[in-house]
Amino acid sequence: MIITAYLREEHRECDTLFAKAEEAASKADWDTAGVHFREFADETLLHFKKEEEQLFPAFEAQTGNTQGPTMVMRYEHSQVRGLIERMNDAVSTKNKDAFLSLAESLMILLQQHNMKEEQMLYAMCDRLIPVDTKEQLLAVMEKVSL
Amino acid sequence: MFGQQNGLSLDQAPPIRVIFRFFLIASLFGMGGGIWLAVFAGDIMTERSALLALTHIFTLGIMASFMIGALFQMLPVIAGVVIRSPLPKSLVFTLAFVPGTMSLVAVFGGYQEELLYTVAFILLGFALFLLIVIMLPGLLSVTHHTPSSKGMTIALTAFAFTFIPGLYMTGILGGFFDGSNYTIIRAIHYGFGLEGWIALLIVSISFQVIEMFYVTPPYPPLVAKYFTTLVLSLLILKVPLLLYGSESSAAAVDTVIGILLLLFALITLRRLSQRKRSVTDASLWFWRLGMGNLIAVVVSALLLKLGSFGWMLGVLYISFVFFALSIVFAMFYKIVPFLTWFHLNAEGYFSAPMMHEVIAPSNARRHFWLHLVTLTTLLLSFALPALFRLGGILLILSFGVIAWHILSAGKLYEDTKLKGEKFDLGMGMQG
Ligand SMILES: [Fe+2]
Ligand SMILES: [Fe+2]
Repeated sequence: MIITAYLREEHRECDTLFAKAEEAASKADWDTAGVHFREFADETLLHFKKEEEQLFPAFEAQTGNTQGPTMVMRYEHSQVRGLIERMNDAVSTKNKDAFLSLAESLMILLQQHNMKEEQMLYAMCDRLIPVDTKEQLLAVMEKVSL
Repeated sequence: MFGQQNGLSLDQAPPIRVIFRFFLIASLFGMGGGIWLAVFAGDIMTERSALLALTHIFTLGIMASFMIGALFQMLPVIAGVVIRSPLPKSLVFTLAFVPGTMSLVAVFGGYQEELLYTVAFILLGFALFLLIVIMLPGLLSVTHHTPSSKGMTIALTAFAFTFIPGLYMTGILGGFFDGSNYTIIRAIHYGFGLEGWIALLIVSISFQVIEMFYVTPPYPPLVAKYFTTLVLSLLILKVPLLLYGSESSAAAVDTVIGILLLLFALITLRRLSQRKRSVTDASLWFWRLGMGNLIAVVVSALLLKLGSFGWMLGVLYISFVFFALSIVFAMFYKIVPFLTWFHLNAEGYFSAPMMHEVIAPSNARRHFWLHLVTLTTLLLSFALPALFRLGGILLILSFGVIAWHILSAGKLYEDTKLKGEKFDLGMGMQG
């Protein structure tokens, strides 16, 4: 389960950064909120990039299916990207209501996305992809940058 | 197995009207229960059938409606089960389920017309048949169960173990069957109804959403993996014990289930206190109150084993109802705003209202206080029966707030679709 372990850990790191940003925003501490939100956004977008450019193609190659789960995951990424952009605006305009409200939507969307990945997509990758391919994949994902 | 796992993507999600209609029905039943209590306040203490009527307003009218509405929405998400043409299917179901439940409640409540048993039997039987046809094939086709879809299947199994014997008893009373196995059937109905279905439903919801909404550490793997199966097995084990007169062993099984549920409540409270998101909202307090009530349920049930106190039974009853309602409301304040935003956003409306614009957090907080006052009033009513009437009025208000939230979210949704600016996402996700 090395794929699941690696990517799940990244989900957890993003959660922690997000929670810090949200806490700061709820106290209207916009400097701190801005810093943590930027960290969260960077981590999340990097994670998406690893999935979209490395993991998903590997899954699609293994299963021959490009219209299935990976398509849904890409679509959900695009929804999350939209929300991150709007939250970024909320940080720069220091709009607490908008930030917290968007945060709520983002969190539900992202968490159910992550849960589906962890319980199903990653688990399938771990089962289907041969071990040495998985190890290569992890090494390549380590090097992806924004 | 993964082919249909399209989750929350819009082409698989049912129209928002489906789930809103079920929630609205549930809240109308809730208001009905409040009216009942306000009018017939005195009977509750003395008349067993009045309590039976109220209990079925709660279980069928409120809890089953909320659950089935949520299932229409959630089955595609957690089990990859797509329900085709959900709008007409859910409508036909409602047209059988609502009058069926009302007939049953009316006949329990003292409207002694034997025909009502027959009507209830036919309508509820048809509703159950529909539910099975709509949901079961999809659920059975899930070959790889995730913890979430497994929990949902177990809760539904417990629901069937409650509903089918209940239906059979209604059939006996309506003259469809002779009453020879009545006691057996009743034992199963009570066993699963009281400890099984609702508790397991809430446990499996918790496993699904606590971690996700509040970003907490996951439940201990052993608990997440075996808890619901264990409780369901214990409940099944209890049936033969009840039947063959081994009441003390059945009571021992009850105690074990009680302790397990207590453990569950404590773990859930602990997880909520370990959450990474420090922001507190009303739904978090609803969760805590729900778990507090579950603890009160178990403690008062265990105390009742030591001796009989009339008011303790009342505390048990009210705590159980408020355990369930608190969790339903906690979920409500997340689900309704999220779905409203989600549907409009996914349809490409740039002006999609944000979650807090659908239901303002301050309104949710106010409702929490109303809910807490209602609970307190009803608990005090057992010492001061004059308060039942007030409790009924507060219940009407509380469910009135829920109904109003649904209606205004629905209106906001329709208004945005009429006037909102839309841009073409061009995601190729339609169809
Ligand atoms: Fe992803
Ligand atoms: Fe991911």
